[in-house]
Amino acid sequence: MPRHQTLTLRELRPAPPFWLAACEAALAPGAGQYLLVDFGGPLREAVFPAQLTAEGFLCAVPVGHPLARSLPGASFPAYGPLGRGFRLDEVTRLLLVAEATSWPLVQPLFTAGAEVVLVLEALTRTQLPSMTQLPPNVEVMVLTRDGSLGQMGYLEQSDSPLRELVRWAERVALACDPERYPALAALVREVRLHPLPDFAQALVQGPMPCGMGVCDVCRITIQGRERLSCVEGPVFDLLEWG
Amino acid sequence: MEWIELAPRHKYGLPIATPFLPAAGTIGYSDEAWDWLDYRLLGALITHPVSWHPRSAAAPPRVVTRGTGFIIHTGLPNPGLPAVIRHHQEAWKRLKLPVIVHLIATTPEETARACETLTQVTSVAGVELGLADGTRPAQALAHLAAAQASGLPVIVRVPFRQVDDLAPALARAGADALTLTAPPRGLLPTGRGVHLRGRLFDPALLPLTLQTVAYWASRLEVPILACGGISSLEDAQACLEVGAVAVQGDALLWRDSRWLGGGQPGAPPTAPSAPESQESGVNP
Repeated sequence: MPRHQTLTLRELRPAPPFWLAACEAALAPGAGQYLLVDFGGPLREAVFPAQLTAEGFLCAVPVGHPLARSLPGASFPAYGPLGRGFRLDEVTRLLLVAEATSWPLVQPLFTAGAEVVLVLEALTRTQLPSMTQLPPNVEVMVLTRDGSLGQMGYLEQSDSPLRELVRWAERVALACDPERYPALAALVREVRLHPLPDFAQALVQGPMPCGMGVCDVCRITIQGRERLSCVEGPVFDLLEWG
Repeated sequence: MEWIELAPRHKYGLPIATPFLPAAGTIGYSDEAWDWLDYRLLGALITHPVSWHPRSAAAPPRVVTRGTGFIIHTGLPNPGLPAVIRHHQEAWKRLKLPVIVHLIATTPEETARACETLTQVTSVAGVELGLADGTRPAQALAHLAAAQASGLPVIVRVPFRQVDDLAPALARAGADALTLTAPPRGLLPTGRGVHLRGRLFDPALLPLTLQTVAYWASRLEVPILACGGISSLEDAQACLEVGAVAVQGDALLWRDSRWLGGGQPGAPPTAPSAPESQESGVNP
């Protein structure tokens, strides 16, 4: 059950293009879940974990974010954990799919499978994290739109390496722009004949001011049906998109 | 315990136990905020805005922040009044709070139909009519008359820019109470080359709310509910001091509900039962 708690910043370090904040919280969110944190702005912000730790969790925030401008020891009112996170049982072959701007959202899953492959897409190589930030147990495949690193192209293209990897995987976890999910769902349907529910799970990131499904800001339309990301998600079955 | 009467001119009235109410759209249709908010602190539940027909959400982006405030535009999505009643009437009974359904005033015919339907729901204590910006006085009076025909107590939420035009006319026409005011409309760039037009929420609106309430409270013979910019108990108190009988808190309830004080959210409701006159008279 979610509860009021305090989020305390313990450490901050640069991890370009993000800042990595080590946060202490009594109840840390699981992978794909979030805390609503009051940073003093007019609305609370959803904070997702990038890595779970003994004291709390690490989260990746962009430059200029209130956490990135705070000093260690700063504390903020928080509420959570909230939302329906990734649902992974014991998995041997786990495929993670993310864009350069959202890959920390699947980072907590780096240890969720015996074999983990991360497919990262970026416009260009400068958007990508340093590969030293990624643990050695994770195999990384890179797609760049301009071909500056890895394979030139994008996730949904006809010769995307994603097709072969979706065949290989037991579970897929995605963190991309939701507008891409219908095409990615179609790709999964093409290469898997009859995938089980939750075979591919997709995280929808966006403003979620209330966290209880009442403000209507986080509504998304999946196959003509409106859903509330904050309470029904933010992780949905990708195949609901197609 | 002294009850606050929101509809003193109505034959059965609309008494509430505390002067704090959630503004329409802030805590959902019934018990969605149960884990977050101590419902015992509320005088009544004002529901999420409801129309007779289902409405879809506006396309994103739906919120833009700036400084201490933000603009929000959701399109007021809802499944339509019949579905809302079906899904929430049992929860309304459990809440032991007067339930005031906020109706989006679309056409007088739909307002009449909605209010007539609500008279069949015993847990509904009244309606709040949400008039759209730009509503002309004749239209507003037609909506009011349509709602009054049901016999339910009718509160009218007046658009921010039209208080001078509408409030006196609505009071004369027998509105049981007025909510002053609906959030003003504003426009902000989203940063994606488009602008978001929507409702503005900001603590900076409080002086405008106080000015409006103070001016009209002494000139109108109907109870006034203050709404806009209320972000603390002191703000709420200030509204009551200038003549409001009750206040509606809005977006602040999404930031932290604990400033209201009270017990642990999620605790069983122990709000006092409404007086007999209300129990028997809400839905004649």
